[in-house]
Amino acid sequence: MTSTSHTTDHSDHGEGHGAHGHIELQYQPAVPVPKGKLAVWLFLSTEIMFFTALIGTYIVLRFGAPQGSWPSPHDVRVVEWLGALNTFVLICSSVTIVFAMEAAKRDVVDKARKWLMLTFLLGCVFLGIKAYEYNSKFSHGIHPAAPRSLLYDRPDINYLAGTKASCDEQLSLLLAEELSEGDAGSGDAGESTEPSEPGSDHDHSDGHHGHDDELAERLELIRSGLIEWTQKKVGQSESRIERELALESLAHQIYPRGKNERVETHLADELKETKALLATTESDAKTAQAKVTDLQKQIDDLNEKIKKAADEEDEEARKKLESKLGSQLESLTQESTDAAAEASRLADLVLPLQNRVAAMDQFGFVEHGINEHYHMRLPMVIPSGNTWANTYFLLTGFHALHVLGGLVAFLILLPMRLGVRRAGVLENVGLYWHFVDIVWIFLFPLLYLF
Amino acid sequence: MNQSQPTQHETHDDSHHGSHTGVFITVFVMLCVLTALSFWIANSHLMDNRYVGWGSMMAVSAAKALLVILFFMHLWWEKMWKYVLTVPAFIMGVLLVMLLVPDVGFRTQTYSNERRINAPVAEVVSAEAQAVEASSEPSSESSKH
Repeated sequence: MTSTSHTTDHSDHGEGHGAHGHIELQYQPAVPVPKGKLAVWLFLSTEIMFFTALIGTYIVLRFGAPQGSWPSPHDVRVVEWLGALNTFVLICSSVTIVFAMEAAKRDVVDKARKWLMLTFLLGCVFLGIKAYEYNSKFSHGIHPAAPRSLLYDRPDINYLAGTKASCDEQLSLLLAEELSEGDAGSGDAGESTEPSEPGSDHDHSDGHHGHDDELAERLELIRSGLIEWTQKKVGQSESRIERELALESLAHQIYPRGKNERVETHLADELKETKALLATTESDAKTAQAKVTDLQKQIDDLNEKIKKAADEEDEEARKKLESKLGSQLESLTQESTDAAAEASRLADLVLPLQNRVAAMDQFGFVEHGINEHYHMRLPMVIPSGNTWANTYFLLTGFHALHVLGGLVAFLILLPMRLGVRRAGVLENVGLYWHFVDIVWIFLFPLLYLF
Repeated sequence: MNQSQPTQHETHDDSHHGSHTGVFITVFVMLCVLTALSFWIANSHLMDNRYVGWGSMMAVSAAKALLVILFFMHLWWEKMWKYVLTVPAFIMGVLLVMLLVPDVGFRTQTYSNERRINAPVAEVVSAEAQAVEASSEPSSESSKH
């Protein structure tokens, strides 16, 4: 547009150019802004489209999630006020970079540097808070991953199988570790030369072993008392609601998502029933066992009698007695085998019940779930948890990279003389920084408040 | 006229310097207030209908973004070129979302029962829905036949 005006401006001199031999060429920018600023704005317009594509993807996925199937902030360890604090930090940094530019325009170099330094520090604070937030998610196993690796969408059979496989895997890992450590430990003892070191090493490994043993014990109890119990319930139950309740209870015990009265009352009722059943089964088993020993005693007595009968002098009386005792022994033996079978059946019933009660006493009503309380990594049910993690880390990760880029630019600018000549550069970096702020302005409600 | 624009722009900025600082502080306060407002919306009854709540929060965010673009990024004081760079990008961004939300975004609202059962639905909802479904299924089937 302006270039055409340039030609028209000079059209009346056009014929004379060749004749005079000197042309007054002047740079005519197409857009009335410095080249650097234009480049930054062009870059920002591509950035606008890049981030709207990302944010749009998130919005569409969020809208597309049926009601209640998107994780609540608490489910995925999102702390709303930290997001709000970060918004505030970025807004402050936007103001400070503007003041830095204004100071540079007035050629007040010291002030410009002070404001830029403050902007840099605020950017660092933002990234620090972000890192803290990331850590709180990673430490809970909430990160992008394949479906059904650690996060499950719903408590179903797949989830049950996943928890069992996870328990088995962790147990076998512990076993392998123990074996390799045993080898390493013996090797260490042979190689070590300093007298003080082996002792401390030994203590350390002992503590480690204690921890491992504890973990293995816990895993065994979770496996038998929670997972296998649920498996049995799901296998035996006729009602779909009951099966779902059993699975949901397991998921709730491992990683509760808020308070779930329905599951908690179900678990409490079930525990009461299990305890009562355990008490009766145990007393039944005891009486059965008593019966077995009693019968054994009778058999022993009878054998004694048979031995005595052999001493009987009268042939006929002896035979009569022997046949009588023999038939008695036969029936007693039969009775004893039956009683023993019953006793072992009852004993088999007792063990899972005992495991269940022990597991429920230890893990049943842990306040923040087994994973949180014992720092464990069992599969968790967070509906759309994987989708959430993917989008969250994609969006915040790209934003954090942009913040990092801004910080690098600030670092490069800081040692320079931030006078009038640098005001343009400072303005361009500021434009970029404001854009980063704008992206966060949209990300904050979308990721923390939706 | 055009060639002297950048220098004119600078002098313009310098002459109004005092008022600009005031503008920046006002914008800063407004941004803080708006952040608090979106935080308030998230915990208010506007979230009873989630689309109303989300819409309000997005409107607040758009207002905040506009404040930053207009004043911190100086677009308020720029010449016409600002529209060339911002409007097309803005239209593309908005269209992208607007065209996807009605179909893809709302697809679960018309899910068939079979699809809903296989979708990642919160279990409390699903158990109740299935209870209702189980009780209503025989009657609906018999009415069909």
